[in-house]
Amino acid sequence: MIDIITMLATHWISIIGIVIGGICIAVGVHFVPVGGAPAAMAQATGIGTGTVQLAAGSGLTGLLAAGYMYKTLSAAGAVGISEVILICATGAVGAMIMMTTTMIVGNWVYIYGVGVPPASAKVEYDPITKNSQAPYVAPGTVGQGMPTVCFVSGTIGGLLGGLGGSLVYCMLMWVNGDPAISSIFAIGVFLVNAVLPSYNIQGTIEGFHDPKFKRVPKAIVACFIASLLCGIIAVMIPGTAMFGGI
Amino acid sequence: MSEPAETANQIDTKGVVVGLVGIYIAGISGIPYLAFLAGIGAIFATKMGADAVRRVCSYGIGTGVPSIGMLALGMGVIAAMFGLAIGKMYNAVFIGPIVGLVLALVIGFVVGSLTNKVIKLNIPVMERCLTEIAGAGVLVLTGFSVMVAGSMDFAVIVEKVITTGYIAPIFILGALGILHPFNANLGPDETQDRTLVHSYSCGAITMAIGGVCSIATIDPIAAILSIVIAAAIWYVNFMGFVRLVQRDAGAGYVGTGLLPPGAM
Repeated sequence: MIDIITMLATHWISIIGIVIGGICIAVGVHFVPVGGAPAAMAQATGIGTGTVQLAAGSGLTGLLAAGYMYKTLSAAGAVGISEVILICATGAVGAMIMMTTTMIVGNWVYIYGVGVPPASAKVEYDPITKNSQAPYVAPGTVGQGMPTVCFVSGTIGGLLGGLGGSLVYCMLMWVNGDPAISSIFAIGVFLVNAVLPSYNIQGTIEGFHDPKFKRVPKAIVACFIASLLCGIIAVMIPGTAMFGGI
Repeated sequence: MSEPAETANQIDTKGVVVGLVGIYIAGISGIPYLAFLAGIGAIFATKMGADAVRRVCSYGIGTGVPSIGMLALGMGVIAAMFGLAIGKMYNAVFIGPIVGLVLALVIGFVVGSLTNKVIKLNIPVMERCLTEIAGAGVLVLTGFSVMVAGSMDFAVIVEKVITTGYIAPIFILGALGILHPFNANLGPDETQDRTLVHSYSCGAITMAIGGVCSIATIDPIAAILSIVIAAAIWYVNFMGFVRLVQRDAGAGYVGTGLLPPGAM
């Protein structure tokens, strides 16, 4: 029989890792330019889908990259702190690739397909390129496409999301050593931490220049509590190896 | 939103009782031919989740209905696996689904309170509905996992459902059964019976896919039994759904000619 208290005492560092990962995911969601249904009709700035779909997409891509890196590194030896950093970096790059691909292809569709210039209605001037935005926003809409600032913001969002997801995965692998259980759990923790911030931004946000970005602290508090709860439960689940194999 | 024909308490009672009874008969009996009962329990749990989604999303949550379904299964997968693992750790497999359910209700209530108190979404039914949705998520996942594995033993479920990857279709289709009915029916003329009949048919599709997965994991005859029962449930409920759509269309409808007259 495996004692629950012993597992909690042994794996407290994994709980901290899961909480940090959860907060990274929560902050990452605020960086991703999500436009929802209006953006799908080129009537709002951002990617034309919901927060959860984007977060899940980038998170799963990051998880795949991180899982492959974990497999390669663990074949070479034990996985320590420096390996975890490498795995998290791989996951972050995987998620960034997914996010930037989505944004660049989305922009091609908006520019060459719909025929609209990417522009944001939330700011007068793009904070990065200093280009004027207002003349390019079509009347009756709140912007369209992904201007430079949204693209950069989305890339940062992918980085944080992938980093958080991979960190949760690594922490769970330390606990149970079973890739299947760890990945399905990482997905569960990821979804909880992606949906709570999406309620915080009420479904749409343009990126770090959006006034809604100031709501980040509330999401951090909520996701801290939710990830702590998920983390405590998750580290108490042993891998099948601890039952003497199957 | 019209007056509901079934109250939330009735739906929750049916979902939890039928869900747990189905899971227990299928899990404890050890007879592979009874595995489909866990699927039927999960269909009732799907309906319970779909009704909770219907009540909370009619307030307009701003992020689209799918987010809440994914949240349900996100919370559900953690609680379900924890429950089953606890059952295995203490050599009392039968406590697994109950522990998972209780834990999911706690997580759901905490997340619901966070949504209302910290994020300030201020939806009065949020706590109750997220509690129900998390409970439905755990019953759906446990139910279909037990149906595919034919056992409640955590080690068997890990070997036959999680390591094989069958957890992925169960996860996504289970979430679809909870989130899709209201997402497809929402609007000013949404009626409870139409949404819930739709949730039965979505649950039956998941059960049929689970049956296909169980061909390899338990027994071909048990799997075919599950698939046939699921197909029958799907047919009856989908035809009922089409009838209710025609009823709610009110002034009348005109066939587009895609299907021959009389096929519907």
